[in-house]
Amino acid sequence: MKFSGVRKSWHGAVGLIVLSAFFPLEFYTNLFEKSVGYYLKWQNHKRPQLGRMWEQDRQSLVAQAKIKSIRSSLNLQEETALGIPSFKYLFEGLSPGFPLVVSREKFLQLYYDFPGQWSERIISSYDLVELDAEKNWDRVSLKRFGPWITLRFIDRQNSPLRELFLSVDTLFEVQATRTIKRGTLEDAEFPENRIFPISEFLPVLKSLDVVTQKMVFPEPRWFLGKNYHITRVGISDLPAGESVQHLLLGVEYDTDYYMEVLLIPVAVELANNMMSQIERVDLSDLSPNETPPSLGESP
Amino acid sequence: MISRLLRTLNLLLATLILGTILVVTVLYFWLNRDLPRLPEDLQHINLSLPTEIYSADGERVKILGGRRPIVLEDISPFFTKAILAVEDARFYHHSGIDRRGLMRALWINLRKKRITQGGSTITQQLSKNLFFSFERNWVRKIKELLIAFQLEVTFNKDQILEAYCNQIYFGSGAYGVEEAARVYFRKRARDLTLLQAALLASLPNSPNNANPFSHYERAMQRTEYVLNRMVSENFITVDEKERALQSDVGVVPLSVKSDPNLYFANQVLEQIRKDYGKEFVHFGGLKIFTTLDTRYQERASKSVRNHLEVLDGRVVQEPGTSPLQAALVAIENKSGAVRAMLGGRDYSRSQFNRAVSNNRLPGSSFKPFAYFTAMEELGYSPATVVKDEPLTIDIPGSEPWSPQNFDEEFAGNVILKKALMKSINIISAKLVHEIGPEKVIRTARQFGIKSPLGKNLSLGLGTSGVSPYEMASAYSVIANLGIYNEPYLIQYIEDFYGNRLYEHYYQGVQQFLPDALYPLLNMMQGVIDEGTGRAVRRMGFRHPAGGKTGTTNNFKDAWFNGFTKDISVSVWVGFDNNNPMLSKSGKGLTGSSAALPIWVFFMQKVLEGKSPVNFFVPEQIKFATVDAQTGYLADEFSTETLQVAVKEDVDLSPPATLYEEEGLDEAEPFLDTVESSQDSLSPEERNAVSDP
Repeated sequence: MKFSGVRKSWHGAVGLIVLSAFFPLEFYTNLFEKSVGYYLKWQNHKRPQLGRMWEQDRQSLVAQAKIKSIRSSLNLQEETALGIPSFKYLFEGLSPGFPLVVSREKFLQLYYDFPGQWSERIISSYDLVELDAEKNWDRVSLKRFGPWITLRFIDRQNSPLRELFLSVDTLFEVQATRTIKRGTLEDAEFPENRIFPISEFLPVLKSLDVVTQKMVFPEPRWFLGKNYHITRVGISDLPAGESVQHLLLGVEYDTDYYMEVLLIPVAVELANNMMSQIERVDLSDLSPNETPPSLGESP
Repeated sequence: MISRLLRTLNLLLATLILGTILVVTVLYFWLNRDLPRLPEDLQHINLSLPTEIYSADGERVKILGGRRPIVLEDISPFFTKAILAVEDARFYHHSGIDRRGLMRALWINLRKKRITQGGSTITQQLSKNLFFSFERNWVRKIKELLIAFQLEVTFNKDQILEAYCNQIYFGSGAYGVEEAARVYFRKRARDLTLLQAALLASLPNSPNNANPFSHYERAMQRTEYVLNRMVSENFITVDEKERALQSDVGVVPLSVKSDPNLYFANQVLEQIRKDYGKEFVHFGGLKIFTTLDTRYQERASKSVRNHLEVLDGRVVQEPGTSPLQAALVAIENKSGAVRAMLGGRDYSRSQFNRAVSNNRLPGSSFKPFAYFTAMEELGYSPATVVKDEPLTIDIPGSEPWSPQNFDEEFAGNVILKKALMKSINIISAKLVHEIGPEKVIRTARQFGIKSPLGKNLSLGLGTSGVSPYEMASAYSVIANLGIYNEPYLIQYIEDFYGNRLYEHYYQGVQQFLPDALYPLLNMMQGVIDEGTGRAVRRMGFRHPAGGKTGTTNNFKDAWFNGFTKDISVSVWVGFDNNNPMLSKSGKGLTGSSAALPIWVFFMQKVLEGKSPVNFFVPEQIKFATVDAQTGYLADEFSTETLQVAVKEDVDLSPPATLYEEEGLDEAEPFLDTVESSQDSLSPEERNAVSDP
């Protein structure tokens, strides 16, 4: 009995020592805090990203996403502007109220890419040289407002260096002045008997004065620079029973992939004059019933 | 007996230990969902890129969210010792909780029966700063403690201390010790002296109450306490403490130089927040290039401050109320760029932007819009004769309205230009009555006024509130001869890498034809040259300019809005509480005495050294000197003449038929006959364009 009592007391004492040991152990080693800490560390990946720090992280991500979205939208706009193939698209692509901005380089490319003198009517190339002399012309902003198109030549800070107002009617002039149609002269409904090889046309063109030459035919650079090889030239016929002021001169050329015809309105008198100068081998096919070709795409 | 005692003790201990484990386990599972995840490292937390605002003249006027995290080696050891002494002396010995500190705090709080001391360790404070709200409740405390335990086993002590030093708030907008060292002492954290380090270490506990800028004495008391704690913890000797206290703390006064720019900068941020969201502003790392010209802003601030100081001595002010305030907005006419925006006399005392957010009655400075509407709608010209006489207008369902002139006198027949120059209220009321307030509102909208405008007859007297921002913009349309440029503050925004995210393009819209607007511009030049704004010339301002004064009932608001060819400026002066501005003699402050001098001081400074630029005169405009009473071309009988600018089709000659009927030579007009003939016409019919 006694032994059993002593044994129980002994066990109790050991238990007490063991349990009591926990306190100094905790006091000196912070066992409890560390255990909790390690458990939380072990479970860390399962817990949500809550709290101010993560909230700021999220807001930072939201901000970066917003910036990314703005940048892609701007890049798209820039690419669209870069992809504008011609003056016609440039002006026709303007939505009222929404400005379009093209770089100086792009504007100059389109300016000199136009097969004719029309772009000179927007702004003279000498004015462009003057504008460029200050070295701060950076871009051109175009905006359509009612019947007007505003062209602002702006610097890097968007300060306008020069402002031009164009009537929307100018677009129609672009349409009428120079148009391009895919296909051959025959596809453009030029009568066969009014189609000539370029070699027959060039002597006639050369015989004209410089001003008339420019009115009739684009700068040869336009063809040469683009690797367009002129094949034939045609002059449309007078439509039966109609009095018109202009006929169309069609310049057929080969691009890398297809044939195109550049259509240029020419005064009837001038067209007739050129026709009379071109030696025709076979006049028997001349048909008065041919209609002038329809307008195609403008550059 | 012993064994029973031992058993009981064992049971108690086991219960205590198991109970604690159980409580912690239950708490953990209860709070588990709300416990945040810890980041991989502490070095890159909260390192959002700063957003910077630049002025047009290249000055950085504000940085938002800019933190300057540094490594522990770059922090003065004085500071680390000071912060440990005052916040957590046993930091290097505990594992997240300081039991002794906690007990001491508990004991003190119990004794004082209120919470005077916190027992939070640096790790707990970091835990709170990173993840939790600052509200005081037990659940938050437990979560904070659990995360502190995890921080302790995840990172070493130096990493925790470093993160803490980079995170805590030191007041005056400074987060982190490096920023705080720059704000308070304009030096790096590594160069802090003992006294400076102690001062900074005292701030996280009470960043506002012990702020050396606002409460220097209290700040120094706290600093001394920190030094004492450092001595107690054997971080420094008593001698070092004494030497430190004898030294100069070297607090650099908070830079007030750039303060006025903050009205502008905050408006910019507000606009971007509205357009793109607050995350974009605070975490975008943007570079915002504004239209602000800090030189203009500085001059605006000086002009306002100097003149208001003069007025302070003259105006009777209720004790305890806020002082006389002013707002100024300057807009570049050709572009609409806002070059200066001052929202009050002192940003550090009042951040409320009165330039944009304070719609106050414009008084007579609104009259030009009523006059212009009358000229457009009724075909009036500046030479049209109108009669200044007692007027009572019946208003259905209301008392009849009898507007009064400022001087309570009547001028009789006057031409429109003179009526505006003298700011005759009766004439404005008559014009609005005749054309209807709706048309005046429509015109005001075309001028760019966006605030709600009341459809009432007193509209022409400026009884609908507008902001100086709107007024400057509207007046710039006059200076621009009809072209409205939407006012703007932001030129462009770039991201951190310099890619443009936004840019402003000019959106000039021709709202009115130049020849329609020029007569009004000329009338407003008359205001400055010989009218209610003639003090502009008396003060020596020589540039061609137009403008209009405005004073509201009981002298509550004083305005002067004016423009030169290049810049339009609106100035407002008044009390925030709408009290009248009365001098000790009982005389009220008017637009001419309160606002106009600020305008002149400002304009003289910003146009210093610049040549006067005349306004462009449209081709269809002709100038003539007319009789100020008859509106006809002046002759030798004219007692008062005025030069007017009218459209080319306005006939200013007296009707020739009158002379023919009387059989008189045209060269010798008989005044009585002319006058009697004029009397047969209503005053407004004279010189009206036949077909408006």
